[in-house]
Amino acid sequence: MDSAFVISQADKRPIYLQIMEQIRQRVAVGDWVAEQAIPSIRQLAVDIGVSVITVKRAYLELEREGIIVTHQGKGSFVSPDSEVGTRIREEELARHLDQAARSAALLGISQKDLEKRIRESYERVTDAEKESV
Amino acid sequence: MNESVIWRLILKDVRLHRFQIILSSAVGAGALALFQTKREVPLVLGATWFSVALIVLGCMMPISNVVNERKNHHVAFLMSLPISARQYAMTKIASTFGMFFVPWALLAGGALLVIGAGFPHGAIPISTIITGLILTGFCVVAGTAVVSESEAWTTVAIVLCNSSYGIAWYLIIRVPETARQVGGSVAVWSPRLLTILGAECAVVILCLGLTLYLQSRKRDFI
Amino acid sequence: MNDYAIELDGVCKSYRFFDLDNISLQLARGTIMGLIGPNGAGKSTTIRILMGLVRQDRGEIRALGRRMPEEQASAKRDIGFASDDMRLYDGMTVGWHMNFMKSIYQSWDGDYAQLLLKRFGLRAEQKIKGLSHGQRVKATLLLVLARRPKLLVLDEPTTGLDPVARHEILYELTGVMADEGRSILFSSQNTQDVEQISDRITFIDRGRIIDSMDKEAYLERWRRLRLEAPAGVALPALPGVIGIRQTGRLAVVIANEFAPELPSAYESSGARVHAVENMTLEEIFVANVERSREGVTV
Repeated sequence: MDSAFVISQADKRPIYLQIMEQIRQRVAVGDWVAEQAIPSIRQLAVDIGVSVITVKRAYLELEREGIIVTHQGKGSFVSPDSEVGTRIREEELARHLDQAARSAALLGISQKDLEKRIRESYERVTDAEKESV
Repeated sequence: MNESVIWRLILKDVRLHRFQIILSSAVGAGALALFQTKREVPLVLGATWFSVALIVLGCMMPISNVVNERKNHHVAFLMSLPISARQYAMTKIASTFGMFFVPWALLAGGALLVIGAGFPHGAIPISTIITGLILTGFCVVAGTAVVSESEAWTTVAIVLCNSSYGIAWYLIIRVPETARQVGGSVAVWSPRLLTILGAECAVVILCLGLTLYLQSRKRDFI
Repeated sequence: MNDYAIELDGVCKSYRFFDLDNISLQLARGTIMGLIGPNGAGKSTTIRILMGLVRQDRGEIRALGRRMPEEQASAKRDIGFASDDMRLYDGMTVGWHMNFMKSIYQSWDGDYAQLLLKRFGLRAEQKIKGLSHGQRVKATLLLVLARRPKLLVLDEPTTGLDPVARHEILYELTGVMADEGRSILFSSQNTQDVEQISDRITFIDRGRIIDSMDKEAYLERWRRLRLEAPAGVALPALPGVIGIRQTGRLAVVIANEFAPELPSAYESSGARVHAVENMTLEEIFVANVERSREGVTV
């Protein structure tokens, strides 16, 4: 089974959030596909080496977000929605952008400045990627 | 089902003490062999080593089997096994007394045989009383060790008992009839000697009983 | 058979300088409970009473449904107990101890024992006196784990272990949970370990239970808020808050009954909320002990 989940204690976020993020990543990049069976709560807890209750919480939250579904007696599966991977990536980006907007507001940066900065950032990052290829 | 756990614990104690048991038995047997020479110096040496082997075993056994088990924190490990505190105490009493009694009985019996085969039988009562005295001393020390669980108290018991051997020997030999009969060819059990033997038995039984009773009254184990 | 692996009800024990007062807790089957508290809080005493090593003055104790200490011999058939003050026989080997346990317990799993030897980096021929502290602890735990007992009671199983050894032990302990019928109670000074593997956390200080609840719910109740107060204003202690430290305009507020409305409640009082942070179990531990010692909220 997949025991490549890594829980870091240096990461200040609660463990259940780290688990959720890593599951979302697997779905987003396509390692876990729609309708695929995923480890049971207990099995994943044993594989990672964390408490059952933490994995349970992660699964509940993911179910609330529509990323996984749990069928009583059958186990847990990735959502049957074939767009779920894309949706996760979109939501991730939205989260980052909201964070950027919030920081800008706190720092007193105007919307126009923010747009300019995002454009600069994008160019910088894509240039760096082109160079590293 | 629990008998097997108790038995395993007793065997474990024997395994841990096999060196002490074998060494003291070997020294005692060697001492008895010296008796066969029938010469004065080996006889004295033999008698000395015989007593020393038994006395040392009798002192070390309670310390090593009972007191040290607590001192070295083995008790918590043993109490994690499926036994009650009372059963643990039973195994300790059984193994401590057993591991002394068996070599003692063999050596004491051996001594009687050696005397019976080649020595004036008048020495039999005395030798019985002396070896019985060592058993009595051991019971006092072992009982103290089991009940007190303390190195200090057990050491006190050891010192008291060891001091008393010399005094006891002196007192017994001073009785005129005894001294006369040692060299005789017939084993004479005078009323006085029988009383002493009876007293030894009584002390042994008293020690055992008191130990069991006091041990069962304890509430906290650790 | 009932659903609790452990039930303590109103357990009291008096010592000369210390009292265990009204300890009540339950461990549901198939879960792990972490017992935390400062040194001398009563963790080891509670565990010893649970295992029947010490007789309680008052209160009822059941382990796997059996009354303790009266039925301890039968209960201990299915309980694996290890404490950090336990010692194996120095002159004997790891293998001798393994055979000893095998002779006593039917449930001894020889294959698993061999696997653990390898995982823990131990060899059967090694004498106990030649082992390092960490290896001794691992050897003791191996003897307990290889029996696959229904209930594990461990007093400080990872104390004094290097990070690799700790990781190995935690991995084996969570592995036990693959079987829903097995349960673990462990005490630890290491809050990270407790935070990672416990389903339930019980907090003891000075002989009393301060908190005992579901770990995730417990962590959710605690927050640290970083606030900026308007000049000259001392921030109020709103409901759910147990501590405020304010120097000048910056303040740190600790809440142990956090409600989502708390940040906005502070904003209404004029403060600006810079951050709402989760607290680690270690930070909660310190805050809890300070609170119970001082008995004061601000």
